[in-house]
Amino acid sequence: MSEPVTRRKILTDYRIRVAKCEICGKTYFPPKWFCNIEGRRSRMSFRDYFYSKGFLYSGTVIRRPTNRFEYIASFLAGIVDLEDGPRVPGRITDFVPPEDEVDISEFIGRGVVPRFRKIYEDGLQGLIYYSSLNFSFLDDYYPYQPYARIKPSERNDKPGIVGYGVYLPKFRIKNRSAEEAQGVQERTVPFADEDTTTFAVEAGKRALIHAALDGRYIRKCFVGSESTPYAVKPTMATVVQALELGEPYEDGFVSGGVDTQFACKAASDLFIDAAALVAFPAFNGGNVMVIGSDNSQAARDDPLDFTVGAGAAAFIFGDRDVIATLDHYVSYTSDTPDFYRREGSKYPRHGGRFTGKPAYFKHTVTAMKLVMKESGLTPKDFNYVVLHSPNARYPFQAALEAGFQPDQVIPSLFVRWIGNLYSGSSLTALAGILDVAEPGDRILVASYGSGAGSDAYIFTVTKAIEEKRSRTIPVKDQIENPHRQYVDYHTYRRWKEMG
Amino acid sequence: MEKEERRLASMERIKTKPCAAIVGAGRTKFGEHWYESPERLLMIAGEAALESVDHGLRRSDIEACYFGSFLYQVTNKLGLVPGYMARELGVNIPMTNTEAACASGSSALFNACMGIMSGKYDVVLVGGFEKMSDRFSKIVDNLMFAGDAHEFDAGFTFSGLYATMMARYIHDYGRGNRRCLEALAQVACKNHHHALGNDYAQFRREITVEDVFKSPLIADPIRLLHCSPVSDGAVALVVVNQEVARKYTDTPIYILASQQATDDVSLFTRESLTGIRATKLAVSKALEQASMSPKDIQIAEVHDCFTIEEVLFLEDAGLFNRGDGWRGVYESFESFKGSKHIPYIGDFGEIIVNPGGGLKADGHPVGATGLRQVWECFVQLRGEAGGHQVSSDKPLNVALCHNIGGTGGIATVHILARDL
Repeated sequence: MSEPVTRRKILTDYRIRVAKCEICGKTYFPPKWFCNIEGRRSRMSFRDYFYSKGFLYSGTVIRRPTNRFEYIASFLAGIVDLEDGPRVPGRITDFVPPEDEVDISEFIGRGVVPRFRKIYEDGLQGLIYYSSLNFSFLDDYYPYQPYARIKPSERNDKPGIVGYGVYLPKFRIKNRSAEEAQGVQERTVPFADEDTTTFAVEAGKRALIHAALDGRYIRKCFVGSESTPYAVKPTMATVVQALELGEPYEDGFVSGGVDTQFACKAASDLFIDAAALVAFPAFNGGNVMVIGSDNSQAARDDPLDFTVGAGAAAFIFGDRDVIATLDHYVSYTSDTPDFYRREGSKYPRHGGRFTGKPAYFKHTVTAMKLVMKESGLTPKDFNYVVLHSPNARYPFQAALEAGFQPDQVIPSLFVRWIGNLYSGSSLTALAGILDVAEPGDRILVASYGSGAGSDAYIFTVTKAIEEKRSRTIPVKDQIENPHRQYVDYHTYRRWKEMG
Repeated sequence: MEKEERRLASMERIKTKPCAAIVGAGRTKFGEHWYESPERLLMIAGEAALESVDHGLRRSDIEACYFGSFLYQVTNKLGLVPGYMARELGVNIPMTNTEAACASGSSALFNACMGIMSGKYDVVLVGGFEKMSDRFSKIVDNLMFAGDAHEFDAGFTFSGLYATMMARYIHDYGRGNRRCLEALAQVACKNHHHALGNDYAQFRREITVEDVFKSPLIADPIRLLHCSPVSDGAVALVVVNQEVARKYTDTPIYILASQQATDDVSLFTRESLTGIRATKLAVSKALEQASMSPKDIQIAEVHDCFTIEEVLFLEDAGLFNRGDGWRGVYESFESFKGSKHIPYIGDFGEIIVNPGGGLKADGHPVGATGLRQVWECFVQLRGEAGGHQVSSDKPLNVALCHNIGGTGGIATVHILARDL
């Protein structure tokens, strides 16, 4: 597809843009500029169905796909009746049809929700195309969440987190033994049409829903990742377009941001920048979204191949309706070559002897100790400590080394069931703790990025967290979701390579 | 003599003035033509059409050409069909090429009728062609040019779109009823049976309902044997002003009606998935133009790209009520005791659909199909169909051709008659 064709489709397909005749109420997709019924009398308005749901009207299992969908066959393609809207075509995602013939009647009438997914790509050198005309079943893994925008309350004088969202894919792989994988029992696996960008959009969508914040109030978006699908082309721009972050202006948005890279701390590093921006007068009270997203890569049979997961977490920083204030911060950095990936190589490499003590432990423990020193707090002043989790052992040992007790760190060791989410790791663990934290709880977060550095943050949970809790999909619930589906090693490798 | 009287009696009913007359028709065999280029295929069909004109016709008599094709620009990197055909034919007359997906051929004929009815031309050559096998590895993608871009991006294939219609049809009208599924297979069996004596057909072998059910899944519930094939082929007709028809042959076939209707290219924006509005409109306009009712149609060439489409036609044309088409198919098929053509039987009487095997068995070189249907009716009405000639108590006099583009974005209907 050419660039202008792609751009036009982005405007229609990222949000499922629909035209509606204000005179007779008829809706049109693709959007039309006049109504067939009203003709010259018609008055069209445009709305989107990004946060909608619908029902499968009919469909089929495509067994012999077009070349561009060869990567995902077989799959269910269908026609969906959007609730209070038009009928649209869409591919059913996160669903692997059986090899035997399917009775489509059994699927007709089932509820579906739109998903932002990759549709296909023009080979390794070409563009990657995304759309929200992909649907997952409503009664399956991914629930429907309405998006209620609540007007922000009066200014809070201390910046912090105003909302968050975590996206963990439906598919999992079990490790043969957790022992072999340093405490990781199972891991999240992306579906064939998922990648870092789609994770980021889904996590950001959940964060907006959780914060009940209109996207137009977000004026910066940072996406930290080490597996962005493009070497050059910002993932954050796709996120901004899909989530409509910033004031809309001539098909674009008045907002900025950047993709960041610092191994697994590419996103956590931006927390302080986000909070600082929120407090900066010229930022005019805007909010900042920070997303850590990775389709964590590992070479076949590398030790990392038994710990890598996939997913994203998004945090919105602001100074109104803050659920956790950012109280203290320290970053610690050194040029330590423990883990790297050269431009053009597919998988990261690691010098085994550096990965542990002089790298992960040195930086995380130092950062934790420094932030406690600066704040005058000691381990017993914290309810939880949250660390970057390349596996279950490292964060546990580092926490003990910094003076914490096992019960302060164990609740955040979600890595045991989701694997290492790289840039999303410490963020997802923090989200999982916020899911259960009470007002007044104090949390120490220490991320880690190879290369190497660690950011240590201290957050204090506020009362506002209670009102927003009903709008989260807790990390624990995602881990235990009864619709999660296990795949074999071959499928895991195949799907992961596609992201 | 008695036969002649019956023919005269049936002629009584035809009051309409024809649009044009067909005085010659030729075609290639359908299937894979490894050694032939698309323009050469069209020439072979054109030469056959000219040769078939009983009293002779020279290239210099042709005043204009109307061609129909769909994918030549993609499959063979060709453009400007008129230029190619001017070179092949060695003439320098007006020519146009019409693209209307699978209805390209019939649309060319529709335009040719306009040319003749306007009085501008007396003799035109109409040709349809397609060369699909040259691009076999990409043809599934290319066929989606006949669908909507959003359908393409939702992963649909062309068979997938028809499967979506078939799934909804089964859900609405035959859910849990095995006979409905059998009827949708019987359409393919019938059309294969009809093609047995057709020397030009791509497939000349019987298939059973079980064969259909055991064939590979393409897009549930569509299996391989519910589908028409990928084919190469060309068809050409010599179409003339009816006033001059007898100069060229004693048995011209008159085009009593030439009608076309359109609908949304996208399946998802249409009112119904279980009926084709364009078919309904084009059939009713054609019957009106010919002053006929469905009962008058003796044979019909119907666009059975997938078997569901033939069933939908039976309903869209008013032969069976909505949702009852499959019952009509099932009962006709089950009660058939003869050996040759299997008629559909209903309140309308009897109608033989796709006497040459339809798209399913004769083949479906997209741009040629609409004219292949007319070729079939031409030879049937003249009693020249040879091994697959319909034998009927009543002499054959009226035939209908129904050609669809895309999933119903366009439908062209022609009604032909031997005698006025």
